[in-house]
Amino acid sequence: MLSRVADNLYWFSRYVRRAENTARLVGVGSLLQLDLPRSVRFAWRPMVDTVGAGDAFAELFPSTGDDATDADVVRFLLLDERNPSSLRSSVDGAREILRGIRDTLPGEVWEAINDLYLYIEANGERGVSRRYRIEFITRIADGCLKVSGLLTANVSRDIGFQFLRLGTAIEQADMTTRIIDAGASGLVTPRNEDDREAFQNMQWMAVLRSLAAYQMYRRHVRQRVTAEHALRFLLQNSEFPRSVQFCLTRALSVLPTMPPRPGVDRSLNRVVGLIRNADPAILAARNPAVFMDEIQVHLGTFHAALADGYFRG
Amino acid sequence: MDWAKYRTTTFDELIQADGQPRPAARRLVEYLGGLSGREIAERQLAADVIARVMGITFTVYSDGRNVDRTLPFDLIPRVIPLTEWTRTEAGLKQRMRALNLFIGDIYGKQQIVKDKVFPAMLLKDSVNFREQCVGMQPPLGVWAHICGSDLVRDGDGTLYALEDNLRIPSGVSYMLENRMVAKRVFPELFETSSILPVDDYPAQLYDTLAALSPRPGDTPVIALLTPGVFNSAYFEHAYLAQAMGIELVEGNDLFVADDDCTYMRTVYGAQRVDVIYRRVDDLFIDPEVFHADSVLGAPGLMRSWRAGKVALANAPGAGVADDKVVFAYVPKMIKYYLDEEPILPNVPSFLCHDAKERKYVLENLDKLVVKPANESGGYGMLIGPRSTKRERDKFRKLIEADPRNYMAQPTLALSTAPIVTDDGPSPRHLDLRPFVLSREDIYVTTGGLTRVAMEAGSLVVNSSQGGGAKDTWVVDMSDEGMDGESD
Repeated sequence: MLSRVADNLYWFSRYVRRAENTARLVGVGSLLQLDLPRSVRFAWRPMVDTVGAGDAFAELFPSTGDDATDADVVRFLLLDERNPSSLRSSVDGAREILRGIRDTLPGEVWEAINDLYLYIEANGERGVSRRYRIEFITRIADGCLKVSGLLTANVSRDIGFQFLRLGTAIEQADMTTRIIDAGASGLVTPRNEDDREAFQNMQWMAVLRSLAAYQMYRRHVRQRVTAEHALRFLLQNSEFPRSVQFCLTRALSVLPTMPPRPGVDRSLNRVVGLIRNADPAILAARNPAVFMDEIQVHLGTFHAALADGYFRG
Repeated sequence: MDWAKYRTTTFDELIQADGQPRPAARRLVEYLGGLSGREIAERQLAADVIARVMGITFTVYSDGRNVDRTLPFDLIPRVIPLTEWTRTEAGLKQRMRALNLFIGDIYGKQQIVKDKVFPAMLLKDSVNFREQCVGMQPPLGVWAHICGSDLVRDGDGTLYALEDNLRIPSGVSYMLENRMVAKRVFPELFETSSILPVDDYPAQLYDTLAALSPRPGDTPVIALLTPGVFNSAYFEHAYLAQAMGIELVEGNDLFVADDDCTYMRTVYGAQRVDVIYRRVDDLFIDPEVFHADSVLGAPGLMRSWRAGKVALANAPGAGVADDKVVFAYVPKMIKYYLDEEPILPNVPSFLCHDAKERKYVLENLDKLVVKPANESGGYGMLIGPRSTKRERDKFRKLIEADPRNYMAQPTLALSTAPIVTDDGPSPRHLDLRPFVLSREDIYVTTGGLTRVAMEAGSLVVNSSQGGGAKDTWVVDMSDEGMDGESD
């Protein structure tokens, strides 16, 4: 397996997973907005910061800041090519990468990505409008899952496949911490202090929903949604496939099938330990954002170790 | 499909002057004749869909984006009787033997120049002559392992060699895919006729490449070097790499180490490469030796090749014989090196560096096709009978300024074959590009890629200029009790 191809497979699956999570994030924000009473303000801005595009956004909308309109922010998150993590940028990225490694993946994968690309080209602007947004987002998430399904069902479990798995696992772990981050930093601001707790819980429900986790949370936890329970579920649950713990365990299971690189094992084990030793009760009481940042940094170190170990050759 | 109104003014590959099908095409023409217009349209649509789904594309860069275009595919195959093909194949093998001897001679003793059969002046001014290859003796004495020779048929039915593409000929993937499409669309005909298969090519190409390995006995590591995804033939590079099960690499994937061996960067670490099928022009394969700013190759590749640690196909410098002026000397080369008479005639050529021939060319610009020595893809040509006075004046100046770089050929009444149009079958001009593989023996594809001008009357068949393709059938008539000859 060429280093360049491994690198591309890894990024391909990251981009696909990123596109799906971005779409979900916008979808849940849009639904949450509709649930809120007039006395509660909804802020999109934390979502922009969530995907790491705060600077790009500030440059484009210097004056508006927190007051950017719904359509501004949604267009920025979904369609703006100047936002490196917009839905469109992710799908374009996946497609351009795939163009260069078309011979390594089944033809249907190319068709599925191309279909997503064409759908965004044709319907993107319509998808920004509230009337059609959910339809648009559902179609995108479905399209991304179709790609994941094709990879799982039709790709041989050779070493290339392991890089696809690693990409998906790291991207999901990273996105999960980012979405927690957004939820914790306050998507809604109640005007009345007494309402704070109720709306905070609503916020955590939104976080679970945007990770397609609400139903599974209900089955596993059987308690009403609170910050502590939600954090424990999303960070440490070993059965839910979008929890950070689950993703990291999956990455761990891949490493023995690959040529050994001690630096890679070391950096991954460090994040695994961090997650295992976290105490959701304490995190919920304080601001979990600091901890999420810490995990993201360590995931970044793991990514760098992978790049050093396998992608430079 | 109604053949009653089908008329053409030149030799037609399927239909005789009397309106009857040629013997080798009889079953095909009758079969098509039995299909309604709607059935034909359905099959054409099916063929287009298959081509798109298979991803038979070439890439065009426009408006800052890459656009994948499908090569227009015409439903009606071109048919060649086996008896004629056997002769053509022998002619192609003969050309290839002479061309490889010529290239080796040019980079060796230059005996053909000393014997005054080939003018020294042409060599001195050749843009494809590579100083760095002088003295090299590649394995088996083969320089051009893969050649695509363009053949055309004139109005009287004679098949001529038009040019030999010895640098990085492309199109063979379309030949293979066209056959896949045809089999799906006309399964009945394949059952009842002896249409010779073409799908042996990737295996033959693999064997050709493997034979070059500097580590014989071992399973060689073979890679196809592509300029990358922006190249118009990228589809073909990926297709062939996949069909042969070899690595598709870009320049950055390769490096040459201090031991002069060439390596690929893999997730397991460096892996030695034995043979590279390069689809990058030789001027770009090694920035240490050729274009210093090229990122398409790998620094040190020429050092590795010269040291015999890696084989390159085609060998660098093979393009010296891929020059439309050098082309004119191929019949002389055949006599000189092989002491044989050419089996396949050359399209007659007038060389502008020769004062007498130049005078003739300049006086007959309106009747000739003028070509620069080193352009490919049909660019930079003057088609005399279709030209304006201004274009002719431009070429007059170009030729006078640089006579070595121009040659002219008579405008042939290129043969035609029917294509499907909304108004029924209609004749279009075409050519044929067989692919020739040279190793210890020589292999020629069965038929080749038929390229067809999609516009009525047009003589330009290049895909970059709107040409399309047809499947090419070499038909064995012996079990039908005929030898396939006509006219």
